[in-house]
Amino acid sequence: MNRDELTRLIKTGILGTDVTEGDVRNDIATARGYPFSAYAVDLSYLELAKELLEGTHMLLTAAVSYPLGGMTLETKLNQIRYALRVRAEEINATLNLGAIKSGDYAAVREELRAMVDVADGAIDVIVIPQFEILTHSEKLQTCKTLLDEGVRAIKTDGHGGLCRPEDILLVRRAFGREFSIEASGGIRTTRQALDLLDAGADFIHTSTAYAVLADIEV
Amino acid sequence: MPDAGMTNRLSRRIELAELRPSATYRDIHLACLQAERHGLCAAVVHPVHCERAVTHLRGSNIPVVAAVGFPTGAFTIEGKAAEARDAIARGASEIEYVVNVGALRSGNRALVAREMDAMRDATRGHVLKATLESSLLTDEEKSAACRLASDAGVDFVVTSTGFVETRPAVEDVRVLKEAAGVCVLAAGDIRTLEVARELLNAGASRLRTSNAILVAGERAEEDA
Repeated sequence: MNRDELTRLIKTGILGTDVTEGDVRNDIATARGYPFSAYAVDLSYLELAKELLEGTHMLLTAAVSYPLGGMTLETKLNQIRYALRVRAEEINATLNLGAIKSGDYAAVREELRAMVDVADGAIDVIVIPQFEILTHSEKLQTCKTLLDEGVRAIKTDGHGGLCRPEDILLVRRAFGREFSIEASGGIRTTRQALDLLDAGADFIHTSTAYAVLADIEV
Repeated sequence: MPDAGMTNRLSRRIELAELRPSATYRDIHLACLQAERHGLCAAVVHPVHCERAVTHLRGSNIPVVAAVGFPTGAFTIEGKAAEARDAIARGASEIEYVVNVGALRSGNRALVAREMDAMRDATRGHVLKATLESSLLTDEEKSAACRLASDAGVDFVVTSTGFVETRPAVEDVRVLKEAAGVCVLAAGDIRTLEVARELLNAGASRLRTSNAILVAGERAEEDA
């Protein structure tokens, strides 16, 4: 794989409490020089990012109930409707992790069904199950629930997690090619990215894209 | 030796937070039980757990605080206001929302003020707390936020979410307290009675912690 090929598999962005308007402007100005697949921002900067990404091939990703997933379904749906109005192309939605940890998959199912319904095919629903805090069986049960409700894309972790090749292999072994898997969480080097792609990840999600591209041949 | 009266008053100035993303329904009930057992002044939960906590604490006089815009505050004004109204409809008595810290750091104080007005409007008749992320802000930015909060009629300014810098700084409490006529709530990992007292002495009216049991435990020791 060469540098250009890896770049096309990277989804980047700038997320977090500390991010200023200037940070968003500078980061997107730099990103425009690269063929990244997508660019994610928090909802407070969604309209600005939409404007700044104009004329690029990067998809705009809206972070929904990010990163804790502790918002009500009502709030999550409002956020998806807002992302639709701004014409974002993807959402990264954190699941109701408390429901998963409580074994309440009916609540997870209800949430997924409503999100898919509101997205209505007009925006790609990519779900964050936050693998870092899930057990082996919770990961599988959550993915099974996603599949049942027609969600075909996951981003392994939100903020704070560390993505491991074992997690990618787990999903691939259990569900074959049913899911598009975006490896996410603590990916900061070329080696990590290549290992995760080898394990079967479709995309690499990282806010440190240039560090990830540092050690690959042009 | 501290007298029991004083330490009992302390427990009524402590809010118990259960904001871990992994918190189960059982954890929410346990937090509510702790709040009841120790006579704490509130239980703070994510909106998704609001109804559960409200049901549990019904009849206890312990208000449920919904944490809105948590933990980044990087949401739209309309979105946060709607989230607050939704939480109140689900029974939350108080709203603690994260200020758009990114806008504050960008020098966009007009947006921060507009947001405070919108949150005040959305929460009429309820206690409203505006949460900063003190470790990411200059003293000038913290003071400015306090003045805006005071102007908007916000009831409390909170030092931090606890998700960026876990330990509340006594110095931050002083800066916020000096800035304006708004109550200060020191939030974060407060593990000992000594730290709790320091924060209160620096001017905090209330404390929010996930470790209330530790403070309460020390209280029990001293009371004995």
